[in-house]
Amino acid sequence: MKKNTIVMLGGFIIAGAIVFLLMAATPGSSGIELTMNQLLENQEKHKDDFVTVEGLLIEESIKWNQDKIELKFDLKDNEGNLMHVIHNGTRPDNFSEGVIVILQGAPTKKDTFVAETVKTRCPSKYEGEDIENYDPEAHKKLLDQPPAETDQAK
Amino acid sequence: MYLFANATIYVGLALAIYSLLIITLGISTKNQKLVNSGKGGVISILVCASMAMLSLFYLLTTSQFQYEYVSDYTSSELPIIYKLTALWAGNSGSLLLWTFFLVLYTVMIAFSRKMKGNPMVPYISAILLGNIVFFFLVLGFVAKPFVLLDQVPIEGHGLNPMLQNPGMIIHPVTLYLGYVGLAIPFAFAMAALILKNVDDFWIKMTRRWTIIAWLFLSLGNIFGGQWAYTELGWGGYWAWDPVENASFMPWLTATAFLHSVMIQERKNMLKIWNIGLIITSYALTLFGTFLVRSGVLTSVHAFANSNLGLYFLIFMGIAVIGALYVLMSRYNLLKRSAGEFNSYISKESSFLINNLLLVGAAFGVFWGTVFPLVSEAVRGTKVTVGMPFFNTVQAPILLSMMFVMAVCPLLAWQKSSLKNLKKNFLIPAILAIVAMALMIVLGIQKAWAVIGFGVIVLLFITHFLEFYRGVKARRKMTKEKVYLSIYRLMTKNRRRYGGYIVHIGIAFIAMGIIGSQNYDVQTMKTVNLGDSIEVKDYRINYERLDQKREGINDIVYAEMTVFRNGKRIGNIQPEKVFYGNWDQPSSEVGLISSLKEDLYVVLSDWEDDGKATFIVKINPMMTWLWIGSFMIVIGSLFAVWNGKYQNITPRYTGVRKEVS
Repeated sequence: MKKNTIVMLGGFIIAGAIVFLLMAATPGSSGIELTMNQLLENQEKHKDDFVTVEGLLIEESIKWNQDKIELKFDLKDNEGNLMHVIHNGTRPDNFSEGVIVILQGAPTKKDTFVAETVKTRCPSKYEGEDIENYDPEAHKKLLDQPPAETDQAK
Repeated sequence: MYLFANATIYVGLALAIYSLLIITLGISTKNQKLVNSGKGGVISILVCASMAMLSLFYLLTTSQFQYEYVSDYTSSELPIIYKLTALWAGNSGSLLLWTFFLVLYTVMIAFSRKMKGNPMVPYISAILLGNIVFFFLVLGFVAKPFVLLDQVPIEGHGLNPMLQNPGMIIHPVTLYLGYVGLAIPFAFAMAALILKNVDDFWIKMTRRWTIIAWLFLSLGNIFGGQWAYTELGWGGYWAWDPVENASFMPWLTATAFLHSVMIQERKNMLKIWNIGLIITSYALTLFGTFLVRSGVLTSVHAFANSNLGLYFLIFMGIAVIGALYVLMSRYNLLKRSAGEFNSYISKESSFLINNLLLVGAAFGVFWGTVFPLVSEAVRGTKVTVGMPFFNTVQAPILLSMMFVMAVCPLLAWQKSSLKNLKKNFLIPAILAIVAMALMIVLGIQKAWAVIGFGVIVLLFITHFLEFYRGVKARRKMTKEKVYLSIYRLMTKNRRRYGGYIVHIGIAFIAMGIIGSQNYDVQTMKTVNLGDSIEVKDYRINYERLDQKREGINDIVYAEMTVFRNGKRIGNIQPEKVFYGNWDQPSSEVGLISSLKEDLYVVLSDWEDDGKATFIVKINPMMTWLWIGSFMIVIGSLFAVWNGKYQNITPRYTGVRKEVS
């Protein structure tokens, strides 16, 4: 059985290396998901983090500079917070009032979020949704849900 | 129609329960008549499942909007092909497809020619029937496909435009065939354990079925990747999305099983490990379904949130606990008569390393997928784990696996002597190092790319040598012509050479991945009508912006002529489609592919005066990814094909029972 034991040992070393790799990669490569409230309170703290944050779009605030390819807009949440966003890219499809916008990036400047990606979310996902029944309120409700859960978990 | 369609589900459920009970009774009382009755029941379940499928197809094509499913996923102006594919667009329809495949596989095994008179058949059928009962229960009480609405809507909601793509026709079907296929090895393993018999016959049959499931799983992922590549906003051909991960994990563990079972075949070792891999692969398919249907993770694929996922989790729990119980109760049997390693440097040990790496890779994917859930539960902060995490973890693991793959053909079974190793290894190693030096000189200087391509070169050389030596040895004896010799060599060892073809395919895919991940170029430009965009060797003339109408959809498109190094190579037409019944437009990319690179253009935004913003990407070596995928399919088909020389299935040598 001796050779088998040594082979087993070698196996454990490989397995250990993989676990080590996982541990080493986990903190660096993952970002955190915050609510707008949490983000705006501790903006300094999260300056260097890769943050995912959601908010409701204010349509009048959209400024789209085609030549510089720069998109500026504001997001709000249900608690009355407001955040400015800069994104060097184009407008996502379906960029209209009250839609949930998911940002990924860093809050580098004061009150301004520099977004690397801007995505929109619809409550309907892949299920059919009547356009007439489209309801910004539904978005608001949906926005409230995940943060509420997070708070309880704390 | 309503009554008929629903009847197919409930009668199917009743028949499934009946067949399961009668087969179990037949096994325990050793009554062949009862078992035969159960087998007949399986056929009638297939009839029910087919009728249910046909009913839904019929309702979808004839746009009977009084049915909830039809009105949720189709509209009257939808092209007929997408009306049909809407069958697997939603929760209940896709589960019906799953059930249908499961029943189909069960019939294939229960009435297989090779399995005739085999006492494993009733056990396998019973285990699969357990699965079938679960799916019919879900269809009958949780996700019902045939529900009538209170009011008949005039028009349906339509199919999500993102799903109106040729990928929708084939990607879900192949993926489900792969997912469902993994239930078969599981059933074989359980039957073998219950009968206390893990012999050559079991290995051969299980391997075959695993290759088939593996092939479909590969196809499903490949078609999915191809679809995601042309769909903007899905993050390219592979985005480490939870749902993609869910299908990649069982693929990895099934790959591991296909290799480690060879050690069991030769040395009678790793029996527990192999059964563990089968159970894991099967459990991962259920776990993947739980992820997709429960909405615990955000993903592009997610179905509507429902408690459906929970049922899958419960079913998975029951299946895994049951399987572990059977495994434990047969532990002594498996433990006995295991072989031993003769040498550290042998095919056996390389297979072992390959297994550890594959399982490690699967664990890495699993960790990244569930980490957000774990973190939220433990620390209260919701983290996101993105592509960088998966890339840093998977790149070294998969690269080492490529290395093992490259070296493996040179190693002998049992024991490789050092002299032998030197003789086999020296030339390929030198050539690979020369190739790496050449790459650095030619300007490929990223460490990952150089190492990666070096390993791929090594793999090509060792696999070439393997063919070369085989042909040389054959011709010495037979004096055949070269091509005939290659042909005969390969058809006499289908499994081995099929495997090599798959390896070469994987190397091509790796080439595509390394090239496109390390050397892609992306720019975004706003240009006026008549102006051009210059990227690398390309000049793209923006000539026209126009609008057309197709059915109820409005399409805005740009006409562009593409020149490479001053030579005209073609026209592209990136477009944006605005749907009549969907408020979100979608982008269709303009694409020109060559062996060297893909030019990928997206029409992003425009003004009334024709000034428009384009995203231009150059993705090197993408075509090789698809060529490699094609070779994987060819290789696995070659390996499972019933050739002239492969028709011998080992005789079943296990215990005899009265029923079969």
